Amino acid sequence: MIKSTGKASTIARTLMSRTGFSSSGIILIAILAVLPFIPPFNSEYILRWLVVGAFMAAQAVAFDLTAGFINVVNFGFAAILGVGAYTSAILANTGPHIIVQPGISPWIGIFIGAFASAFLGFILGFLTLRLRGLYAAIMAWFVGIALLGLARTLTPLTRGSLGMSPPSFFDTPSNMPYYYLALGMMITIYIVTKLVTTSHIGLAFKALGQNFDAARASGINPTFYRVFNFTLSCFFAGLLGGFYAHYFVSMTPKAIMHTSKSVETLAIAFIGGRGFLWGGIVVAFPFVFLLEYLRSALPQLPGIHIIIYGVLMILVMIYYPNGVAGFITELKKKLWRLRKPEKT
Amino acid sequence: MLPISCFLPIWTSLNHALKCKGIRMVILQVIDMVKKFGGLTAVDKVSLQVEEGQIFGVIGPNGAGKTTLLNCITGAHKPTSGIVNFLGEENLAGSPPEVMCKKGISRTFQISRPFPRLTVLENVTVGAAFGAQSHARESAEERALEALEYVHFPLPEDTMAGHLNAVQLKRLDLARALAGGPKLLLLDELAAGLTEGELADIMKLIKRIRERGITIVIVEHIMKLIRGVCDTIAVLDYGKKISEGKPEEVMRDPKVIEAYLGE
Repeated sequence: MIKSTGKASTIARTLMSRTGFSSSGIILIAILAVLPFIPPFNSEYILRWLVVGAFMAAQAVAFDLTAGFINVVNFGFAAILGVGAYTSAILANTGPHIIVQPGISPWIGIFIGAFASAFLGFILGFLTLRLRGLYAAIMAWFVGIALLGLARTLTPLTRGSLGMSPPSFFDTPSNMPYYYLALGMMITIYIVTKLVTTSHIGLAFKALGQNFDAARASGINPTFYRVFNFTLSCFFAGLLGGFYAHYFVSMTPKAIMHTSKSVETLAIAFIGGRGFLWGGIVVAFPFVFLLEYLRSALPQLPGIHIIIYGVLMILVMIYYPNGVAGFITELKKKLWRLRKPEKT
Repeated sequence: MLPISCFLPIWTSLNHALKCKGIRMVILQVIDMVKKFGGLTAVDKVSLQVEEGQIFGVIGPNGAGKTTLLNCITGAHKPTSGIVNFLGEENLAGSPPEVMCKKGISRTFQISRPFPRLTVLENVTVGAAFGAQSHARESAEERALEALEYVHFPLPEDTMAGHLNAVQLKRLDLARALAGGPKLLLLDELAAGLTEGELADIMKLIKRIRERGITIVIVEHIMKLIRGVCDTIAVLDYGKKISEGKPEEVMRDPKVIEAYLGE
């Protein structure tokens, strides 16, 4: 009896470690799942912050797949997310303001949008293939700017800077279903990226990111792994873009596709810890709360959140390049070492 | 182009037949290799033949083009012209490094190139998982551990590669190259900066690797190592091959003495 439960628990543990959940991770997810029922989080106003938190966290995970593993900072991330959002929004359109009225359900459109983004990621992967680090980042940035320009000028499809108002996912004014949808997306994206990165594919990503020449000399095909990485990361970006479109139900090119949006994701992913994936999740929620609070408390300082991001980024880069996740991991190791001598 | 596996049965049977007669197969053949960087000719019409099971040394003064030659063989550089034949496959010059690695050429670097934020074990696992024998039945991790043990890696395998010193990094590079299961191993100044004791160790290690059936090409400055392990050496000067033969003979060659000591 004891043996079988022991076996079951080891199976559960290996499954958990493969998908990247430690026991504290499970507790965190459980807290996030019940949070909307606990005051003060059960008010619609604060629930909205939680949705944004989950949305930002999911973005940070998808972003970290590229930035933290193959070491290319995708400054076009927000623009590619925007492509997913616009694809899904246009496909769902029934109104007269746009030349096409396909009227496809957002639940289908979100996936078509994700595939459109994945296709762009595929192209972006090839475009940045010959470039290293910073140059690849700049190339991605230019592609992002071009896409933003395209969304602004293709007025018959996107209404340009006037913005679109796509239909919503749910027929309710409550934020509750959206929160669970965002949370579900966040967890799914995390599990998939974790499964990929704990396999040999992840090892190839890291090797390519840390020493390109040595990775090639060890037999790693850079084309395949880089393009695959970009495609997957951008697929998730597109999926999240679809969520944005049908949750906020109003969008302009600047509000989603601007480079500053990529930088916000970058800040959360980097402060969370590059290459850890879960760092962004831990950081995103408190951050969104802090920034939303500041925004409502200091309405006379509209750009304050960018300054805070900047300062924190600089501090993390200089003093703790592994970010919050790195800090927690090290702390855990130290605690283990303290506990071990007592046992033996 | 046919995959390498098509050639393997022919290769091995032919090889076996020749071995019985006491003739060794040529595993690597470089013909008229030229590499130009702008106006500079770093490698000038160099031809080499490396037989299976040999330890082949490439020596020469600084800037003679030894590392460039190595880079052209492994695909890190695309040669301006020239032919590389390896293991019965013809004209591989210009294939990318990952392809050459899969075909069975592994290398170490003059300045070690670790993956600094991976552990020692993960570093070597990369070599095992993507190298020439990545299809092997044992897991990549097992082969990585075996390679680490083989080179007598002195530290625990969960050490971060970024924390190693230069000598340990050289061993790590070697373990990573070996873990891929190569047929030909190219060592670029593996012994630079070693003490006498460490040098003796590395020489023993190189001989042990040869006993595993791996052919070795060494680029090196340290004459003691070259004399100690190499069967044949080639001398490069200003990109040209000026001498080739057994170490003792080459050392007496007036052209070689001139290249090293000046007129």
